[in-house]
Amino acid sequence: MMTYIVFILSTVFVVSFVSFSSKPSPIYGGFGLIVAGGIGCGIVLNFGGSFLGLMVFLIYLGGMLVVFGYTTAMATEPYPEAWTSNKAVLAMFITGVLAELLTACYILKEDEVEVVFKFNGAGDWVIYDTGDSGFFSEEAMGIAALYSYGTWLVVVNGWSLLIGVLVIMEVTRGN
Amino acid sequence: MNPPIFIIIMLTVISGTMIVVTTSHWLLVWIGFEMNLLAIIPILMKKYNPRAMEAATKYFLTQAAASMILMMWIIINLLHSGQWTVLKDLNPMASIMMTTALAMKLGLAPFHFWVPEVTQGISMSSGLILLTWQKIAPLSILYQISSTINPNLILTMSILSVMIGGWGGLNQTQLRKIMAYSSIAHMGWMTAIMMYSPTMMILNLTIYIIMTLTTFMLFMHNSTTTTASLSQTWNKTPLITSLILVLMMSLGGLPPLSGFIPKWMIIQELTKNELIMMPTLLAMTALLNLYFYMRLTYTTALTMFPSNNSMKMKWRFECTKKMTFLPPLVVMSTMLLPLAPMLSILD
Repeated sequence: MMTYIVFILSTVFVVSFVSFSSKPSPIYGGFGLIVAGGIGCGIVLNFGGSFLGLMVFLIYLGGMLVVFGYTTAMATEPYPEAWTSNKAVLAMFITGVLAELLTACYILKEDEVEVVFKFNGAGDWVIYDTGDSGFFSEEAMGIAALYSYGTWLVVVNGWSLLIGVLVIMEVTRGN
Repeated sequence: MNPPIFIIIMLTVISGTMIVVTTSHWLLVWIGFEMNLLAIIPILMKKYNPRAMEAATKYFLTQAAASMILMMWIIINLLHSGQWTVLKDLNPMASIMMTTALAMKLGLAPFHFWVPEVTQGISMSSGLILLTWQKIAPLSILYQISSTINPNLILTMSILSVMIGGWGGLNQTQLRKIMAYSSIAHMGWMTAIMMYSPTMMILNLTIYIIMTLTTFMLFMHNSTTTTASLSQTWNKTPLITSLILVLMMSLGGLPPLSGFIPKWMIIQELTKNELIMMPTLLAMTALLNLYFYMRLTYTTALTMFPSNNSMKMKWRFECTKKMTFLPPLVVMSTMLLPLAPMLSILD
């Protein structure tokens, strides 16, 4: 099972996306996001990006989703819709999960699958030790490069975050 | 909107487009598009009525979906080519899907449905920015990938856009919707020539922006949003009546006005590339555009539209709106044709 761990995690990742795309109430959608965030962290960890995976937990789940959870709790409705509340949400959830399971079975059975690009069954999800990444972790070097060579990117990202806040405040001002 | 906030947000709209236009890295292209989209939402929602909010939501959803498609195919292009440079040739499938994503951003048929609805729901000055500045960034990326665009896709979208821009605008009386369909048609002309001579696309974009800027500023000067109120211009500001006449004819592409330059150049470049049916169809369906511009001219300048007697005796106040640069713009949108031989500097 551990050889195909990335494949399994990717399948469950898509299923958790289906769980909030089937449009239950936001509080249940937030639960789907938490699961998706945790699984995303697992996928990144399997590629050697330990720092960035834990950043997902810290910043995404521990910062952004917590704020989302609090605002949803403030603006919640008296009878929130879960996945089994009405037929529409349940039907969409089942359709999404079915589509994903069929795709996963197709990938596992066939030798070579070409959807958008060719991949050889589930073999492509197994991490081999390809390439010589030397003694340095590529992911840590990438983060270091962002803060040294990528000064312009940091400026653009910082400005975009500031503008995000200003735009949200303008949009929700309402007068 | 609070003036310092307005300045910061406009600065971000401008810098978002500038990032898209000047960068050579695909990730920065996506970042520029998203910055531009995020910052223009409060500009679209300047008036806090439900219609403007609906328009801003529609704009956000379509543009965000287009950015997502663009991002996915940027990554797949990275998978196939191993590099992020914009000017290097694209994977053919990536090129098709990126062209589709950029067509969604521009409002080309068959992704044009948001343009009239969004333009109608927002104020005239926001509509101005939407239809002129927002077209620069996607067209600059199409310019950079123009050598690898699939001809079938782009020419189909272009001829459909000109047709839909023509037929869609026929039944409209609201000026913002008329300008939206005019924008769809002009985008069709621009993308028709993209593969054969991208320089002519830039020429068309420049002249289109000048003419649309002038049209919107004249409409704002009169504070009109419908054909019926535009037809009372003879009583409010008689000078604008004749300016609208010449401007509409220029938008329709009639010689001897500047609107004729891009159409002439595009037809010339298309025929040089041995396409005959395409420029014929484009020119014939552009006549539909000319019909509704002429209808505006007819009701504004050539006849006195029916109204009751009290509307025929208006007080004439001085215009308090700041119409910067309007006279030079009017001159540029109508009298540039004698400068057309300067295009020989491109050879």
